[in-house]
Amino acid sequence: MSQPALQVHDVTKTFGGLTALRDVSFSIPDGAIVGLIGPNGAGKSTLFEVVSGNLPPSKGRVQLYGQDITTQPAHVRRRAGLCRTFQKVRLFDNLTVEQNVSVAACCCAPTGGNWRREMATVLDQMRLAPLAGRLPAQLTLADRKRVEIARAIAGHCRVLMLDESLSGLTHEEADEVVSEIVALNRTRGTTIVFVEHVMPIVARLAQRLIVLHYGAVLADGLPADVVYDPNVVAAYLGSKWGDLAWRS
Amino acid sequence: MGSGNDLASAATPASRLSRWLSLDAARLAVGGVLIAATASLPFWPGVNSYFVALAVRALIFIALGQAWNVIAGLGGQLSLGNGVFFGIGAYGTAILFTQVDITPWIGALLSVGLAALAAIVMGAATLRFRGVYFALATVVISLGFERLTRHFVDFTGGDAGFSEPFLGTSLWAMQSRGPTPFLMLSLGVVVGFYLLTRVLLVSSFGLQLQAVRDEEAAAASGVNVFHIKIMGLVLSAVMTALVGAIYVQFYLVIDPTAAFGLMQEIQIQLPALIGGLGTGGGPVIGGAFMIFVSELTNWLASGLSVHGLDVLAFGVLLLVVVLRAPHGVLGTFTRRPRASTNQ
Repeated sequence: MSQPALQVHDVTKTFGGLTALRDVSFSIPDGAIVGLIGPNGAGKSTLFEVVSGNLPPSKGRVQLYGQDITTQPAHVRRRAGLCRTFQKVRLFDNLTVEQNVSVAACCCAPTGGNWRREMATVLDQMRLAPLAGRLPAQLTLADRKRVEIARAIAGHCRVLMLDESLSGLTHEEADEVVSEIVALNRTRGTTIVFVEHVMPIVARLAQRLIVLHYGAVLADGLPADVVYDPNVVAAYLGSKWGDLAWRS
Repeated sequence: MGSGNDLASAATPASRLSRWLSLDAARLAVGGVLIAATASLPFWPGVNSYFVALAVRALIFIALGQAWNVIAGLGGQLSLGNGVFFGIGAYGTAILFTQVDITPWIGALLSVGLAALAAIVMGAATLRFRGVYFALATVVISLGFERLTRHFVDFTGGDAGFSEPFLGTSLWAMQSRGPTPFLMLSLGVVVGFYLLTRVLLVSSFGLQLQAVRDEEAAAASGVNVFHIKIMGLVLSAVMTALVGAIYVQFYLVIDPTAAFGLMQEIQIQLPALIGGLGTGGGPVIGGAFMIFVSELTNWLASGLSVHGLDVLAFGVLLLVVVLRAPHGVLGTFTRRPRASTNQ
């Protein structure tokens, strides 16, 4: 059996007297698409920050393909293949689309690799080549989100963490981005971990769901099981979602 | 960027370089005319040494602006401590020449190396701060250097400053009776710094330097943020110290206020702020405009017997730029219009 892509062991994060994450543990297999859901304030974004290296955990460990990365800085994790997007799109506003992607390509391309070629490949894959010379301010929100994903996967990406990459998009735009995420998983074998509030999309995309509530894992399992879990229904989905989520 | 392989293989190295640097025909033409006009300035009818010296002064401030533009315009780090590197370049070159008899050509290189070391130490101490805290930390260091140079009178000349003896026109001493050699030297430096900035705008290091404005997004893209910031500050320091060396060889005197004073810190920033932060041509336009305003206000001040008119003019200029043209002259006229977004 192959090494799990991402393992989180008993991670706790406190801010003064507030406990944002409490003994969170899970393991994500290589090549999986896993959804991370929970009400606002559940600790999803804090977990992303801890896993990606922007925040140190107060306790616990994070492993990427078996290697302990708990104390590694964010850029080292990125170069090791742990990639992410942000809840609020954070592109480099003074750089064009191709330059945004180039930053990651030149930092993370395999040694001896041609980062310009890697940048062009990623732009083609995300269908961004026609927008290559534009500044972020000249793009629609959907395109900005696609550029952020392109920047995240450029170079060397083994685990992609998407923080609400579909929020604010129209149905058509969201469908397009979902297709691209699925294609990434299938063609590149990229493991996907995503946070999303739009339940029909969660249902369509996730092979497995982890539910966070008050900083702890409330449920972890197959989507069909998790959404009918009485604790999850009571804490997050509401009674009607048990029926509606999977019909959409 | 990667298109046109057939064309690229048929192009000469020079044309490939100019395409890589986005130096289109218009830029090359304007640049060529400006270089030719500046280099031939001493031979224009009616132009005396005063005007040539004025051009040297303008070029020195343009080069200082270009150096500051690397760390502040591209890297987004508002350094108010570049005077430290200017002072090290100027004092270092002058002291090595006067007291150790080392030719300023070598002295300048040694001073530039010292400035690079100072940038590493200064960057290690301050670059973990963000925004205004970094600016405050650097200005404190600069003002600290000002106090130190005033204190060690035997070594630096104290308040009166440090003067070099004039040996006449001498290549070894990097001295000249007329300003023309310095016009050529400083013009070469400005052209070199412009090309360097163009390289930084498109190279791997330059892209990373431009990305560190948003530290978390840069780190999430694999950029070693602290390392890149230090490298950016070192590059800016090396450029600034080199200009400091030329300055002291031209004026043959340097004092604590001219090197580390608050007014000097502001003057270093003005060319890039006025012309356009983070651009290749911005500091050139801004520096030339700044010296024009400086001369105009000096002329008015002497006519009206009002002291400090230049400081007032620079203050007003800075306010106008910040409030009405935050992208500077070049940014205001060349920045692409914003498309409507649904965010």
